Amino acid sequence: MTDYRVGIDIGGTFTDIVVLGEGGQLYTKKVSSTVGDYAGAIATGLEVLFNETALESDDIREVLHGTTVASNAILEKKGVRTGLITTKGFRDILEIRDLRVPQLYHIGWNKPTVLVPRYLRVVVDERVSITGDVSTPLSIEDAENAVERLVSEGVEAIAVCLLNSFSNPIHERQILEIIQHRAPHLLCSISSEVHPEIKEYERTSTTVVNAYIKPIVSRYLQSMREILEDRNVKGSLLLMQSSGGLTTVDEAIEKPVNIIESGPAAGVIGAQMLARHHGLGNIITLDMGGTTAKASIIEKGIVNRSKEFQVGGGVLSGSRLLTGAGYLLSVPAVDLAEVGAGGGSIITIDAAGSLCVGPESAGADPGPLCYGIGGSRATVTDSNIILGYLNPERLVGGELKLNRQAALTEFERSIAAPLGMSVEVAAYGAHRIAAANMIRAIRSVSSERGRDPRDYSLCAFGGNGPVFAATMAVDLGIAEIIIPPAPGLFSAFGLLYADVEHHYSATIKCRLDQVDASNVELAYSKLEDKARSQLQSDGFSLDLCKIERSAELHYQGQTHELSVDIPSGSIDSNALTQIADQFHFEHERTYGHRADIGEPVELVNVHVVGIGLADRPRTPKGKFETDRKVHISQGEREVFYGPSLGWLKSPILTRGDLYKSIQGPCIIEEYDSTCVVPPGSSVSLDVAGNIRLNI
Amino acid sequence: MSQSKSLEDPFGFELFKNALSAIADEMAVTIIRTTYSSVLKNNMDFSTALGDGNGRLIAQGLTLPLHLGSMPDAFLSVLRHFDGDIEPGDIFVLNDPFDGGTHLPDIFLLKPIFIGAKRIAFAAACCHHTDVGGRVAGSNASDSTEIYQEGLRIPPLKLYQRGVPNHTLFSLIETNVRVPSLVMGDLRAQISACEVAEQQFLTLVGRHGVALSGDYIERVLNNAEQLTRAALQELPDGVFSFEDWIDDDGVDYGKPIRLFVTLTKKGDHLKADWSGSSPQVKGAINNTLSFTKAATFCCIRSVLPPNIPNNDGVFRAIEVTAPEGSIANMVLPGACAARGLTGFRMVDCCFGALAQMVPDQVFAASDGGNTGISIGGYHDDRTPFIYVDFACGTWGGRPKADGMSGVSNVAANMASTSVEITEAEHPIEILAYELVPDRAGAGRYRGGVPYCREYRLLADEAVLQVRSDRRIFRPYGLQGGACGAPSSNILNPGPDETMMPAKFTVTLGKGDRLRHELAGPGGWGDPLLRDTASVLQDLRDELISIDTATKVYGVVIDVKNWLVLEEETVQLRRELGKERGWTTTPAVIQDSPNNISNSGRIG
Repeated sequence: MTDYRVGIDIGGTFTDIVVLGEGGQLYTKKVSSTVGDYAGAIATGLEVLFNETALESDDIREVLHGTTVASNAILEKKGVRTGLITTKGFRDILEIRDLRVPQLYHIGWNKPTVLVPRYLRVVVDERVSITGDVSTPLSIEDAENAVERLVSEGVEAIAVCLLNSFSNPIHERQILEIIQHRAPHLLCSISSEVHPEIKEYERTSTTVVNAYIKPIVSRYLQSMREILEDRNVKGSLLLMQSSGGLTTVDEAIEKPVNIIESGPAAGVIGAQMLARHHGLGNIITLDMGGTTAKASIIEKGIVNRSKEFQVGGGVLSGSRLLTGAGYLLSVPAVDLAEVGAGGGSIITIDAAGSLCVGPESAGADPGPLCYGIGGSRATVTDSNIILGYLNPERLVGGELKLNRQAALTEFERSIAAPLGMSVEVAAYGAHRIAAANMIRAIRSVSSERGRDPRDYSLCAFGGNGPVFAATMAVDLGIAEIIIPPAPGLFSAFGLLYADVEHHYSATIKCRLDQVDASNVELAYSKLEDKARSQLQSDGFSLDLCKIERSAELHYQGQTHELSVDIPSGSIDSNALTQIADQFHFEHERTYGHRADIGEPVELVNVHVVGIGLADRPRTPKGKFETDRKVHISQGEREVFYGPSLGWLKSPILTRGDLYKSIQGPCIIEEYDSTCVVPPGSSVSLDVAGNIRLNI
Repeated sequence: MSQSKSLEDPFGFELFKNALSAIADEMAVTIIRTTYSSVLKNNMDFSTALGDGNGRLIAQGLTLPLHLGSMPDAFLSVLRHFDGDIEPGDIFVLNDPFDGGTHLPDIFLLKPIFIGAKRIAFAAACCHHTDVGGRVAGSNASDSTEIYQEGLRIPPLKLYQRGVPNHTLFSLIETNVRVPSLVMGDLRAQISACEVAEQQFLTLVGRHGVALSGDYIERVLNNAEQLTRAALQELPDGVFSFEDWIDDDGVDYGKPIRLFVTLTKKGDHLKADWSGSSPQVKGAINNTLSFTKAATFCCIRSVLPPNIPNNDGVFRAIEVTAPEGSIANMVLPGACAARGLTGFRMVDCCFGALAQMVPDQVFAASDGGNTGISIGGYHDDRTPFIYVDFACGTWGGRPKADGMSGVSNVAANMASTSVEITEAEHPIEILAYELVPDRAGAGRYRGGVPYCREYRLLADEAVLQVRSDRRIFRPYGLQGGACGAPSSNILNPGPDETMMPAKFTVTLGKGDRLRHELAGPGGWGDPLLRDTASVLQDLRDELISIDTATKVYGVVIDVKNWLVLEEETVQLRRELGKERGWTTTPAVIQDSPNNISNSGRIG
């Protein structure tokens, strides 16, 4: 029996499947997603896979899965009817949020709909103080009435979030017992378990989203299990989390809030694997699809994580200054900056005659002009077709045929003519401006936090990433670009390289120079016990459980925290001093300065990650073997590289042609993506089958 | 690819324009990330900008709406004092409201950017500092009566000369403020932001060349002017004026302060004149002309398309004037620390004028801007604490939708501070933070629902200062929409409660409580035309009482089954309409000194 691992990434348009054998055998497949029945696409995909290859269900050791099911439930408001129980006096924490408005000077802006309407938000008399003392005992009568009221309103899920419950969860647990007694069929989420950290709005919002999607995710994963069972796939099913770590089905059902950004996270984890495998310390990733582009940063082979993000807010200009567009989630996530620049981004001319790209998108439907399915406005994909970057005959292996003439005609009429330019110059301008928009996303993960992009390599993937990579690298001063294998379904690929990960945290808010070290140690060991027992129940032996500690700190008075890693070993006063030193260092690195000596450093949260290590290497030795029958080189075509270089004949190559270094200009066409190699750059293949493009 | 960046690059301009605003934004991000103080982080009370070599604003970071337009005066002041003596490595500092500043807590830093000997730009960052000395902690008191009481006044000076810090000036600032580590930390953040801008601007100019960059800057300004004029051209011509009243200045209690603006729109030009507004007042709520401009721009921007860059070109098409010695353009020794209050209320006033120009694009009055609440005292170990809270949070009813609840005032861009964080850091317990029913102005589209906050002091003693407004003169309604409820301050709510005025200072003892309720925003459109399903939903959500549903909205509801009784509703609405006796729908419903005397809200 050969050992295969399967990565399945469900996106809004396509479901991507990647299968990797121990010996490096690689199969890839894109199938259309079926909206409303995502598991159906997986059944189809597996069917096709088993037909196209000699694989059998027994060969599959693991199925790794990233899915948009959870985020779609939020975007489309298709979660379940949810009730919220909270402390008297604080009924509207969820609605008031943090007051922030994401667009200035825009009185037409509307908040995203509150996930729990006010009449389903019920208060109970109780109070726990900030230090965890019960100052007003829970009114059992209130609690019973609250549950009764929500049950009679027909809720399917209840979230409980009381003030200061992170410091003492007793009342939340009492309420949970009452719910379980009165309505055992309801799926509940209590904040002291979902996110036991200080800041009531963050905790409430996270807990409510968890409750809102829990029944949906639970049903979906059950049916996913059945599909695998029906096909005799006995390998274990693991889910990707926004953090970039995998989790078990049971944990994903318990905390679905952790799997919301699973697809984008998986791509970055794939890049992290490349970085480690090739000894590339520092990488900027660019994942450009049909609607948005996402950037992230990998340093010394480690992805950057943030502790919160927003979902469902649409995409704004790329500035991180303005928040509040979506639902706030305080969960660990791969840090991604997103801009509304994708193949479907619409190109317009503003009132002063300037060319603009996005953030409005034609999406997949009506799509770009060249799709010929109803799109009436010029898009980025149309400009790429006009410039000769994309082959109208060969997208997704020829399954998607494009109409270049339709793009040319409308682009000429609505964009080039009003600008008084030739159609190719105007298209080139749109290409450059789209690249500039994406550069803003890259800046927000690099230079905006003290990192110089020139010290990084650019790893470009997603269907459109390799089309733009060279243009962007030139503007950013980046010398090397890496295009991984199967760039168009790299997120599915990345699933294969993640570890199982569980995150736990708790708040201990106190000055480092005043805290009792043994209390800090105690807090960590409690979290570690939780992490170990979870990993053991996942099936990891003790020697494969790895524990990482980190802490979130700030200078007293600051309102945002920085995270620093904590060395293993028990915490004594010496260790506290080291933690403070490390915080000073990290502050200076990120912000360019540190406080004067004597400025107190405050510990806010302690954080533990339990990692379940793989019992054998995940990266096959040598290069990936793909069996896909790629088309033979297509000769050459005219490609436009800007007004000064003009149209140049460019050879059309496949990845297989790059066994030796080749000088640009050329175009590399693949099943799922196209890479543009401009004049003056060179391109080759490395030992693992990545395209290396040097500017 | 390198040739494509040469002179003939037809998109060099677009890329240059994008890069400029990206630099200003990146400056802003630098400040958010490096600052210590929550005023900057949560209230975004700062702004960043790039000027050209002559001090014309070419890009501004998107942070606080009320700062747009207050930068150019700072550039001009530095040039007036130092032209001919501006060298590479210099950094200028100023906060004097009578010489480029807007109020003392806002300290401006400006760094000239050179290529060789040629000055090609200025980077500037203005931050609201936690304290700049003066008679009251926070330097924000509304009851100072002269600038000399308000803190350290810094005329345009060199904080760095040719890269060398001016230690005399640094230690003068450090010695005169209550929280030197915060102030010095935030000044460092400002310097970092200017350095980030310098480095990136030089890279940008290096890429495009000095001459071409100069051309592009002209085009960026012309482009914004063109966009602004094109948008103004679309608005109706005419003269539109509006009057509104501030309750009082907190010094002359009970003396209303008039705001009056006249918008004259002709073709592609707009003029806003604040003549008719009250003479300068004793209390510290006077505005510099630059701040009056900022308040005016904030409103006008809201009815213009969103894609216009923030630069000098916008200001060429919009003229703002106010008579010297008025509350809108103060002269020495006017006090102005709490001028934010007037700024917010000018925004209400200017929107009122715009509502007559473009009735379908403007909302009714919001809650009147943020209430400032500060509680200062000593912990048990005699170390001091200062708790400052800014509360604001609802919009007026809009032409096509209800006002939103739980959002920053449109002129601010603030976030609230977590209740739990407040309790962890201060000897204060927060007992309530939630929406208050029946206070939103009724309308076809009602105002947003205001919230209350209730605080309890846990320390032995502290001084409480409240600066609120809209207690006498409630937020106005439009197109038949009603006024919202007035704001209120209640000490120790319950059987022994005391109603306090809008602006006051008292000493609190342990266990004393303050409940502040924001004013309710005005409604938009006739309440009797409100969709009955929305009235039913509001009742179910306990945002209105059954009394309001019936008597104000004329909707008859069966509360057992949550059903609107349609026939009874039609009947009731007809009666209420008759009783009301409107011949036409009033364009504005508002309080004025003539009609408030019997309302019982004074005192």
